[in-house]
Amino acid sequence: MTAQRTVMLAPVELTHLDALLQQFLSLLDAPSPVADPAIARLVPAGYREDQSAAQEFRRLTEGDLLAARRRDAERVRATLAASDAAAPDSAASGETPCEVVLDAESTAAWLRTLTALRLVLAERLGIVTDADHHPDDPRFSVYEWVGYRLELLLQELDA
Amino acid sequence: MSNALPLLEREEDLAAVVAGPWQTVVWDDPVNLMSYVTHVFREYFGYSREHAHRLMLAVHNDGHAVVAEGAREQMELHTQAMHAYGLTATVREAPK
Repeated sequence: MTAQRTVMLAPVELTHLDALLQQFLSLLDAPSPVADPAIARLVPAGYREDQSAAQEFRRLTEGDLLAARRRDAERVRATLAASDAAAPDSAASGETPCEVVLDAESTAAWLRTLTALRLVLAERLGIVTDADHHPDDPRFSVYEWVGYRLELLLQELDA
Repeated sequence: MSNALPLLEREEDLAAVVAGPWQTVVWDDPVNLMSYVTHVFREYFGYSREHAHRLMLAVHNDGHAVVAEGAREQMELHTQAMHAYGLTATVREAPK
C-alpha cells in the first residue's frame, strides 16, 4: 500500500461531488443537525436495550462524531480544490479528467465521507432493506455513483 | 494430570471476577458496501484479510456479528469507532 494515490475525476464529477459535500456540510451545520434523520443515521444508538446507557453514550460521542464528519468533508473538499487549482484549464474545458492526489489521511477521509454521503442519500431515498435498491431508478443515480467511486477507491487500496 | 481440575476452577473464578465480558456487535445495513466493511475490520482492528472477510459475511448473512469482546469501556470505544466509519454498531453484555 503506497502512501499516495491519484483519483481521476471528470470535471463534472468533481463539481457534483463538491456540491454534494457543501450540502452535507450545511446539514451538519444546522442548529440541531440530528433532528434530520439523515444526520441521525451517522450517530446511531450505542446500546439496543439499555435506554439510559444509549443516552449516556450519545451524550459522550455525538459531538465528536459530527465534528469528525465535518473535518473529513472539509478535507475532501480541499483535495478537490487543490486539483481544480492545479488544472484550471481542464476543468473549464469539461473534458480532461482532473487528478486528485490523496495521501493516506485524505484517502481515509474520502472513504469515510463517501460512505457518509451514501448513508445520507439512502435515508433520503428511503433505503431501509436490500430490496429498496433500484439501480435503474434515476433518483438512485447519485447514490450509485458515490458507491461506484467508493468501490473503485477500495479496489485500489486492496490491489 | 492431577492439577487439571484445580486449574479449571481457578479460570472460572477469574471469569466471574472480570464482570462481562462485553461485546461490540456490528449490524447489517443495506447501504454499506461489503468491501468497505471488510476494509474497516482490517484497518481498525488489524484483522487478517480472511478474518475480516469472514466477519463481514457473518454480518451480511446473520444480520450481525460480534467483532470484539472485552471490558465495557473498550467495547464502547470500538463502537464509537465503528460509528465514525459509518457502520451500525452497539455494545452489549455477552449473552450468558
